[in-house]
Amino acid sequence: MSARVKTIARRGASLQERLYLIEICKGMATSFGHFFRNLLDNSRLAVRHYPEVPPEIPVRWRGRHRLTNHPDGTMKCVACFMCQTNCPAHCITIEAGERLDGRAEKMPRRFQIDLLECIYCGYCVEACPLDAIRMDTGIYSVNGTRRDAFLLDLTALQAGQGAFPEDDYQKGGA
Amino acid sequence: MADMVKLFVNGVEVEVEAGKNLIDAIGAVGIEIPHLCYHPALGADGNCRMCLVGIEDGRPPLVPACKTPAMAGMKVLLDAEHIRKIQRDVMELELINHPTDCPVCDQAGECRLQDYYMSYDRRQSRMTVPQVVKGKKMAFGCGVVHDQERCVLCGRCVRFCRQITKTGELGIINRSDDARVNIFPGRPLHNRYALNVVDLCPVGAMTSADFRFQQRVWFLKKSPGVCHGCARGCSITVDHNREKEQEARIYRLRPRHNPLVNGYFICDSGRMSYKAEEEGRLNEARHGRLARSVDQALLAVAEDLAQGGKITFILSPDSSLEQMVTIRALAEKLGATLSGFSDGWIIPGDGDDFLIRDDKAANRAGLELLGIDCSRTGFTAAVEAADLVVNCNNDLGRSLSAEELGQLFQSRRLISFASHRREIDNQAEIVIPVASWSEYAGSVINCQGILQHFPRAVVRNQPPMELVELIARLGSPLQSEADCWQELARLPGLPADPATIPTEGLQLNDNEAAHDQP
Repeated sequence: MSARVKTIARRGASLQERLYLIEICKGMATSFGHFFRNLLDNSRLAVRHYPEVPPEIPVRWRGRHRLTNHPDGTMKCVACFMCQTNCPAHCITIEAGERLDGRAEKMPRRFQIDLLECIYCGYCVEACPLDAIRMDTGIYSVNGTRRDAFLLDLTALQAGQGAFPEDDYQKGGA
Repeated sequence: MADMVKLFVNGVEVEVEAGKNLIDAIGAVGIEIPHLCYHPALGADGNCRMCLVGIEDGRPPLVPACKTPAMAGMKVLLDAEHIRKIQRDVMELELINHPTDCPVCDQAGECRLQDYYMSYDRRQSRMTVPQVVKGKKMAFGCGVVHDQERCVLCGRCVRFCRQITKTGELGIINRSDDARVNIFPGRPLHNRYALNVVDLCPVGAMTSADFRFQQRVWFLKKSPGVCHGCARGCSITVDHNREKEQEARIYRLRPRHNPLVNGYFICDSGRMSYKAEEEGRLNEARHGRLARSVDQALLAVAEDLAQGGKITFILSPDSSLEQMVTIRALAEKLGATLSGFSDGWIIPGDGDDFLIRDDKAANRAGLELLGIDCSRTGFTAAVEAADLVVNCNNDLGRSLSAEELGQLFQSRRLISFASHRREIDNQAEIVIPVASWSEYAGSVINCQGILQHFPRAVVRNQPPMELVELIARLGSPLQSEADCWQELARLPGLPADPATIPTEGLQLNDNEAAHDQP
């Protein structure tokens, strides 16, 4: 394979450039040009007004996790540990126990995701055989002032709601 | 060495042991014949039909490999389309009513059905009718949980109860797709080896209530070990794991095949003995009534030992050979007496003719080999003559009542190195925690005179000091494990390097085997 080589002229060698001040002024002229133009008319600004205007989150966005439920409100998760096994960041901790809500035998007694360790790769969602864990809450910003605030427990995960219509998720979901 | 014969597998000549059946003979050279019902300890049953192979010598088209002895010149055919079809069809039959609830099944990861599906089947189910519903989560007694839907009716558990324990609690009732393994009404499993059916079961039909949902098996680290539950010293596998931010702990013990000692099985009490490795452990060193670091406490012990006077060391019959020999060396250096008194370990009549022994000490033969006195009279005399008694992890409370101990140690100073919290240590002046058997490497000699070496299995977050190291710090002439083995190698039959001990152990001499108590 022959690499395509594009030779770029090396700048900075001419006398005018080596005088420095002239080039600085030219640069400042560009900066101030943009500054005043945007000051007078910011409708064409190429910058996102975050956080006043939240970004648009696509369906396939991997946001904060949630644990899904059956239509009757029972948890889909059966504590098979596939997500924990697959997690490259080791941020999932599950403790399994006997199932008490009348469905199959097993359920998580404890399910904890450490969001400080999570790398939002979505492997847990891919590994789940029961579609019990999803990253479709649309929550893209997780913040807190204490480390414990980033530990998502079972109730917090179950309370999460999907941000997208089910059809869209099935079509475009991760 | 058994006779070897040459035969052909898929046209390739291999040399195998004569007289064995084809599964074992060919399996020994690394060629797998899939099988569900056959188990070397239970013999061939021939009911699963998974091991059907072709023999190209005019026999019926296919024969079960488990029932066919290997013979010279045999032409075994494994790799043929019609045999693969049989395997696929058997798998399909087994999976018709299988719930495929691998996500909640404890066997997942060590399940024959899973393995064979991936190796021999890999096809979609063609089932369109609802599956037969059978009993789930049935308590069979002795901590065995049975799931009839997962069962492949290989009958291993039934044969185990009939042939090995001879109690016959299990049977297969009904026929065809309604057949299921069950107990007789009101007669649950009741024998001391019942949990072996959990290991025997090739699928997840038999699971252990104790291990239920505790861990997925692929998280477990598997270390070879030797059971310290009785003088048999069964070979075991220690399955342990350290969960994130938790203490490392053992989740289960499983038998490790050892033809010299325990075959394929262990007893239930040995299997549950892992709980003692966690419960009631001593974690903090103490001097007088004050908590001390191990280093500080050790300094105090060294001072006490240096003061002279009559010293007696008490050894535990559970200690490893290395620990015993280094304590003996230290005692010789200090002119101290030794006692391995441990009558309380022997429970007369508790043993049976299979694995369980009366003597619950793992290494009494080691004490005897090293010439350490175990008698009660010797112990009483040694303690009464001593000013200072050093107890090296011997649970004296098993042998003597609290009053007897109180009397004995009332006017004597006691130093205790202990792995567990014990009543007797309340009378001790200095207490130092030491490692228990799953946390150190060592060697033990069982009641048959078989020497086994086991590596360190569990490493706790704050590992307690090993007794060998602790005694070395107190000035034993044997400063390392290698030193211990140099000393041990002087004894008849013992090697100079524990690494040379085979995995199934080393038979030390036949005389001791002859003394073997029934």
